[in-house]
Amino acid sequence: MTDKKPSTAEIMAMLRKKSAEGASAPPPAPATEASAVPAAASAPAEPAVTPATPAAKPKGTADIMAAIRAKGAIAPVAAAPPAPAAGTPASGTPAAKPKGTSDIMAAIRAKGAAAAGVAPAAASVAVAVAPKVAAPASAGKSPAEMIQAMRAGSAVVTESAKPKFPPKSAAAGKKQELPRRSFPAVFFELICTPYYMAWTLMSAIGGLWGLGIARFMMPNTVLELPSKFKIGSLGDFPLGTVSEKFKASRGVWIVHTDSYDGQNVVYALSSVCTHLGCTPSWLDAEQKYKCPCHGSGFYINGINFEGPAPRPLERVGLVLGADGLLEVDKSLKFQEELGQWTDPKSFVRVG
Amino acid sequence: MLLFLANIGWTMRSYKRDGYYESVLGFQHIPKATVWAFYAAFLMLLAVTHLTSRSAPEEFLLRLPEWFKLSVDVIFRDARIYFGLSVAAFVGMIVWREFLTRDTVGWILFNVGCLFLGLSMTDYDFRQIVGKPDNVPIVGMLFIGGYFTWLYFKKAVDNDRRVAEGRPLAEQELKEQVLVWPDLVYTEMLCMILLTALLIVWGVFLQAPLEEPGQAVKTPNPSKAPWYFLGLQEMLVYFDPWLAGVVLPLVIVQGLMAIPYIDFNKKGNGYYSFADRKFSVIIFLFGFIPLWVGMIVLGTFIRGPNWNMFGLYEFWDVHKLEVLNNRNLSEIIWVVNLEQPLPKPDPASGLISQCLAIFMREGVGILMVIGYFMALPNLMALTFLRKFYVRMGVIRYMVLANLLLFMALLPIKMVLRWAFNLKYIVAIPEWFFNI
Repeated sequence: MTDKKPSTAEIMAMLRKKSAEGASAPPPAPATEASAVPAAASAPAEPAVTPATPAAKPKGTADIMAAIRAKGAIAPVAAAPPAPAAGTPASGTPAAKPKGTSDIMAAIRAKGAAAAGVAPAAASVAVAVAPKVAAPASAGKSPAEMIQAMRAGSAVVTESAKPKFPPKSAAAGKKQELPRRSFPAVFFELICTPYYMAWTLMSAIGGLWGLGIARFMMPNTVLELPSKFKIGSLGDFPLGTVSEKFKASRGVWIVHTDSYDGQNVVYALSSVCTHLGCTPSWLDAEQKYKCPCHGSGFYINGINFEGPAPRPLERVGLVLGADGLLEVDKSLKFQEELGQWTDPKSFVRVG
Repeated sequence: MLLFLANIGWTMRSYKRDGYYESVLGFQHIPKATVWAFYAAFLMLLAVTHLTSRSAPEEFLLRLPEWFKLSVDVIFRDARIYFGLSVAAFVGMIVWREFLTRDTVGWILFNVGCLFLGLSMTDYDFRQIVGKPDNVPIVGMLFIGGYFTWLYFKKAVDNDRRVAEGRPLAEQELKEQVLVWPDLVYTEMLCMILLTALLIVWGVFLQAPLEEPGQAVKTPNPSKAPWYFLGLQEMLVYFDPWLAGVVLPLVIVQGLMAIPYIDFNKKGNGYYSFADRKFSVIIFLFGFIPLWVGMIVLGTFIRGPNWNMFGLYEFWDVHKLEVLNNRNLSEIIWVVNLEQPLPKPDPASGLISQCLAIFMREGVGILMVIGYFMALPNLMALTFLRKFYVRMGVIRYMVLANLLLFMALLPIKMVLRWAFNLKYIVAIPEWFFNI
């Protein structure tokens, strides 16, 4: 094992001697260290833990484990007919003062391995000892560590042999009491555990935040202009012209042309380039819309013919109202490549 | 304003004069130095004249001749000639690297560059564009980028020559020397001070080019991206937004990240070399100089209102008329060659029949694109990239080949646009899918 440390060898020799004596000798006063065990009342039996090596002071996990394994190897021989309270796998832990959870767990596992070789009775003793061993050692530790150590102990038990009685942990105690209470009480108790409380609170706060953010999506006042607006009568837009009157304020050109399908119509073109969304300019001299960003060009009727724009400009809704005024509806959109320009809402026929 | 611009011109001149003066001192050979001396004296006289008699830049004694301006205009306003020449210059740079990296030749190149810039400043339209505070860094970038490329080639040519002669590399000769204190620290401090001073002067004299508040319905004309994105903007002229704005930039970035995994050439590590890494250097410089820097120059100095191309000395006329009508491949095939109307998907019909109609229309283009990306790598593996394929294995080779093909996509599309007025190879506006 650890040949490097001469102290270990010494300790092992001592341990062997001691255990040989301990098997024959009567057990010492049981549970003298019970004062160090705070919640030991729930522990089932009162197993006597033999303080095997009070003199030996191992310095680390390696030492402890070495000692325990040595003992485990001896145990089947020495403690074959053990009294239940004899505490055969007398761990050196009370004297050894393990320093952390890992130490404890290592000790417990070693013990479990030893117990597996012995009769189940011995194993149950080991179980009974395990929480005890953990408790005094981790007196200064957090509850979580204690629980962990306990679970480790019980896990060892289930692996090695069937215990005669279940180890009583805090959780097991609660489960046993379950049938006596009504459902709401149980539910309330479950909810009240810190774990669930934290999650419940967090989701509640998150939900409130979400609602608050959702509220911003519905402002009290909207500064957007209404999507429908009147632009004037048909006579304001002579044939073959593009009106830029509403481009700056509303982003539409009013076009009166007969160059699309040969029909004499008025319609409203959205002044958003179909390439990347810049605002093209209407060049009256060249009779085309030209985009300043990547050079896309459109005919007066909105059909693309140069540059990278992949499709014609989009029409928005236009109807002739009962009052003889044209009304643009920007909430409607008509795309030529989808065949939507034939929609009667997308243009107003003249004459 | 005119005075300010005139000052720019003068500083350019006096700067040049100083530069030449030093170069004269640097040369020890008498006959050569005399030429330089005359040249420098001439420039100095010129500078003194201009410094003493304040005049408008248009009235400088030395100006660019009109024929020169006209020819430059013709070259630059035509994308075909511009791109062709930049590629030719790139090839020339690699072929004649030994000649170009001589000190004297480098110095002459620098002089020509400065002279060109200084003299061009006498032209009003050139000054308007280059003198814009936005564009000053780009002029600087051209000189700095040119210098570093030249420096690389100089060192690489030197090392290649050393290898050919069996001498140790320049880097190995100096391996034992570590000049940190005070040499390196001193240099760094000087650089720091000079750059800080430069930035302060720059910040004081050139105002930040802020414009009026933006409006949703009013786009400046021309509307330009930040200078470092002008290459992307130029790609957008030839490609669909999602391709040029999303896919290709991602491919560029991922391709640059993939370089260490693709590169299997262990030579050229830790020293300058061209002969050991011909393929990598040529591919990288082609992507960087003609396709990136060249596009930035194009976007900065040549693209004008309505994104038309203008010569360097040409007035930026908003109403300049360029015929750029273009067509999709499907239109060329169906309307021009087959003389039939385009098959149009009926929006009322089912999805499958719509897909069929679209495939009828765009099938050739779709097959061409698929063939480009599926068949070409295999062909390349069988022919001129055979060695790469053997060395790299299937996956790495495919990554390399596809990255190369993506890079080649831009010049190919440009040439197609210029030669055939081709808009998109695959055009499915119904699904916002165009290639």
